[in-house]
Formats: sequence, structure tokens, C-alpha cells
Amino acid sequence: MATGDAATLTTAPAPRDRQGNGFVSWFSRFRFEIALISPLVIYVLILTVAPIIDTFRRSFASPTGGFGTLENYRFIFKSQRFRDATINTVVVALLSLTLEVGIGLAIALALHVKFRGRGFVRTVLLVPLGVPTIVSGAIMLLIFARSGYMNSVLALFANLLDRIPGIDINWVNVSWTAAGGWRTLLTYAIADMWKVLPVMTLIFLAGLQSIPSDVYEAADVDGATKWQRFTRVTMPLLVPYFTMALILRAIDAFRIFELALALGAQEPVLGTFIANRYLPPTNDQFTSAAASIVLFGIIMLFIALYLKFVARFQVQR
Amino acid sequence: MSSTAIRRTRRDPLEAPLKVAFPFWVIGSVLLVLFPLYLVFMVSFAPGSALFGERPQLVVTDFTFKWWQEAFKSAGLISPLIKSLVVASVTTLLAIVIAAPAAYVISRLRPAIRYTIVIGLLVTRMFPEFTIGISVATRFAELHPFGLNFLDSYIGLVLAHLIGSLPFIAWILVGTFETIPVDLEEAAQIDGASRFGTLIRVIFPVAAGGIAVASLFVWLYSWNEFLYARLLTTNQLTLPLKVFQAIDRGTTQGMATVAAILTLPILLMVYFLQRYLRPGALTGAVKG
Repeated sequence: MATGDAATLTTAPAPRDRQGNGFVSWFSRFRFEIALISPLVIYVLILTVAPIIDTFRRSFASPTGGFGTLENYRFIFKSQRFRDATINTVVVALLSLTLEVGIGLAIALALHVKFRGRGFVRTVLLVPLGVPTIVSGAIMLLIFARSGYMNSVLALFANLLDRIPGIDINWVNVSWTAAGGWRTLLTYAIADMWKVLPVMTLIFLAGLQSIPSDVYEAADVDGATKWQRFTRVTMPLLVPYFTMALILRAIDAFRIFELALALGAQEPVLGTFIANRYLPPTNDQFTSAAASIVLFGIIMLFIALYLKFVARFQVQR
Repeated sequence: MSSTAIRRTRRDPLEAPLKVAFPFWVIGSVLLVLFPLYLVFMVSFAPGSALFGERPQLVVTDFTFKWWQEAFKSAGLISPLIKSLVVASVTTLLAIVIAAPAAYVISRLRPAIRYTIVIGLLVTRMFPEFTIGISVATRFAELHPFGLNFLDSYIGLVLAHLIGSLPFIAWILVGTFETIPVDLEEAAQIDGASRFGTLIRVIFPVAAGGIAVASLFVWLYSWNEFLYARLLTTNQLTLPLKVFQAIDRGTTQGMATVAAILTLPILLMVYFLQRYLRPGALTGAVKG
């Protein structure tokens, strides 16, 4: 590891080290490093930091030119569609996070067991990694359509149950995406979950592989059952991986946009609300800016709550 | 094996059910992950007539290339395909040129400063793309009267995709450069190489593997990106926007075909480059 203690930069060129003071000498000493790092710094400042500040300012500006007004926020909080979108976003994000952590962990646990053909199954399970979000939406349209695959399976079960005397089920196909309500939110969450399953599996697999086998041997010597091994050894040691997976995914899960759009946007989420405000025909940069700041606040709040209440269960090794 | 002996004496209530359930567990996982993917390709080869009848079909009975031919002929697919290819490739190239030298410098800083910079870069990714995109799209529109056309152009989209790519690629490359010993540079400089020459001819070749993986992720990100493309486009669609158009007003098979065309290069790349994929490097790349 390159760790310089004396100089700020370990690669500081000694011969060119002119004795001077202040900014000029610092600049000439490190001009090579400064030249290399400047393009990145300038890019991030101009095209990331400045736009963020600009949008923040815009959210407090009024279309007529004033600044320092809460008008935009007042407008969106009054809007029923915005309140629905906020609740939907939170519900979908929590639902999809739960699903993908649960199922991702289940798949990783299966792949962690040695069985014949494991290498092949692992390869096959990772192939959809990087499937575009919009494609995930297109696929879910096939599955959750009115006469799609989901309804077909459910109708089959309903028919089977119907044959049992005393149970009377009359199954009617509805389009999940067009129905609105919990059905539509569930399709958003499932689409989001499916898209990231390979990544979640990879993260948890890495977590499981990081647990040393002697911990399990010690648990065995103490006579732990499989369930105890899972809840008292595996889970606590996986907490850092839960944290990594949840925080990285939460940022994306709350930002859900294309999926809701692809699935018909029957239920609004904050992403589609912002796009609707910003794009024609509304063309309103001010309320859309305010809504995007609210979305940022929700993401930050989730991460803060998670770190406060969950991450402290982390075991020190 | 003392541990197995002890386990035998106590009966584990989960032992038998797990043994029975395990094959179903594995098969269920494979089906859950692969069936939706299979579906999109299957539907793109299915004839239009009897796809969603009484019961949706599971296999193609009348294999047809009709939708693929139609997609390439009539649906105006070539121009989005070229735009997506060019934007993704140029974004990747520029991301390396901008981020690799900077990541090298960052990797040689004191740990405290190094982590501060890396975390600072990652924090920019916690902001919704809309927070950045609203301002960028508005400013790009304001530049139009000055003869700078950033809306509906390749360069505007490349600039936007670099916003998402740079922090990520810099983060991965800092990790790569950290593993290269400083002795190597010193040896090269004793041999008379300039500092820039050392960087180009010694450091970057040693880091080639890491740079390649990082570029793959940047390419995939740009190829899949939808939100910036939506904000910065009015006419000249990218491939993901084309998929959305097909969802919005196309046939089911047409939609599946465009989706399959967008997905195919990704599947091939991930399949062939799988052994390089590590969880740490991945989590930022696949996003939505």
C-alpha cells in the first residue's frame, strides 16, 4: 500500500522541490498531479455539483423571478397526485427491497451449498445481470397482462380450488398493470426485484464466502442446529453485506422511473411525477425541481434511519 | 470428525425438509431468474395470431423471423441503434481518459484524503438523476441560441452519461491503482522514464484488467440509460427510448423484439466476461 506520511503525495518529485512559500510553490511542486486530476474535478464541479445547487435554488425560485419562496413546495404538497406518488414510491421501494434481499439471499444460500452442476447454475443465474430496466418493464408487461402468464397460473390454481366442495371461486382475469392499487404497485416491485436479483445474489454470495468455516465448526461443537447456525452465525456476520446491498439498492429503488413508465404509470411514483412536471406540455422546471429535492430527502432519510437502527447490530470481528 | 459425530447424536429438525426442498429451491431460482428472459426472446419469434389466447403459450410453435426483419426494416431501428452504440462507446472512451489519470493521483494520496474524495464522488450518486438532469437539460436548452446544440445530439447525451459514469469509474480505478506498488514507478523513473511516460507505459498497462472491467460497466450503463436520454431527446431516439416507444404504441411482438435487440449484446458480454465480475465492482454499475 502506498501510504506517504511525510508528504501529501508520495510521488512528489524531490528534485523539482523549489523552496518557496504559499500557493505558487505548492502549485509548481504538484503541477503534474494537478494536471492529471483537474479534468475530473472540473467536470464534476460543472456538470454535477453546479446542477445540484442550481436545481436546489430553482426549487425555491418562483417562475416570475423571485427567490426564497416556498411556493413550489406548497404547490406540490397540495397536489393529491404528488402525495399519492410519494406514498407509492415509499411502498414500492420498501416492498422491492424486502423482496430482493429475501430472494437474493435465498438464491445465494442455495449456491453456497456444494452440489453437482453448481458452477453451471451460477453462470446461468448471473447472465441477466445488466438487463436494461426498460426491458424488465417490457417483460413484466407480458407476464402481468390481462391474459398473461401470471393470470394463467392463478386461474389454474383457482380452478383446482374450485373443485374442492364448499369452496366457490370464480376467477376473473384482470390486467395487473392497468388495475391500479396494490396490484400495480406489486408489478413495479417485482419488476424492480427481478432486474437486480443477479447483483443481490453476487453480493450475498460474497458475504457467505467471507464467513470463515471455523465459526461454523465452533457452532457445531456447541451442538447448534441448522436454524441456530443460520440465525446466530450466518445472519449477524452478513450484516455488513446487508448494509452495502440495502444502501446501494435503496438509492435506486426510490428513484424508480422507467419501470413505472413502462408498466403504464397507472399509479404515479415520484419519478414519473417529476418527469410529468418537467417535460412538455407542463414544462415546469420549478415544481419538478422541488419534487426532486423531496425525493432526495426521502433517500437521505431512509439511509439515516437504516444506519441508526439496523447497522449498529453489526458484529465486530 | 468430532463435529459430525456430535451432530448425529442430536437430531436436527431441519435436516430432512431441507434435503427434500433443496432441488426445488435450485430449480425455482433458475426459473425465477431465467423464465422472464426466455419469454422476451420467445415472444419475439412467435407468430402474431395466437400468442395470448385462452392460455398464453410457453414455447414457439410457429417459429418466425418476421418481427426481427420488420424491426430492422420499417421501425426506424438503425438510427437509434447507431446513436446508442456511438454514445456508449464515446462515453466509455472519454470516461477512461478523464477518470484514469485522476484515479491514479487519488490512489497515491494519503488514505484520509483518498477516502474523503472517493466518498465525495459516491455521494454525488445519491442525488436523484432528476436533480442533476433538470438543471442540465434546462441549461443545454439555454445554450441553443448560441449555436451549441446539446439537445437531441450525440455530444449532449455523452456529456450527461459522463455525469453518472465518472464517479463510478474513478471509484473502481482508485481501487485498481492502489494495488500497484510505488516501487514499480520508481524503478521506471530510475531507468529514465518521464513521469507521464511511466504512467502511460508502466502503470496503465499493469492496470489494464481493472480498466477493462470498469469500461465494460460504463458501456453497459450508457447503453441502458433511459432518464437522461428522455430529458435530452425530442426526436433522435436511443435504443432504450425505442423500446419505450414500442411499449407505448407497438405490438406485443414488436416490443419483445426491440427489447431482445437491446438485451442481446449485454447477455453476450456478461457471459464472456463473467469471471472478471466481482460484487464490489458490480453494485454501482447495474442501476435503475
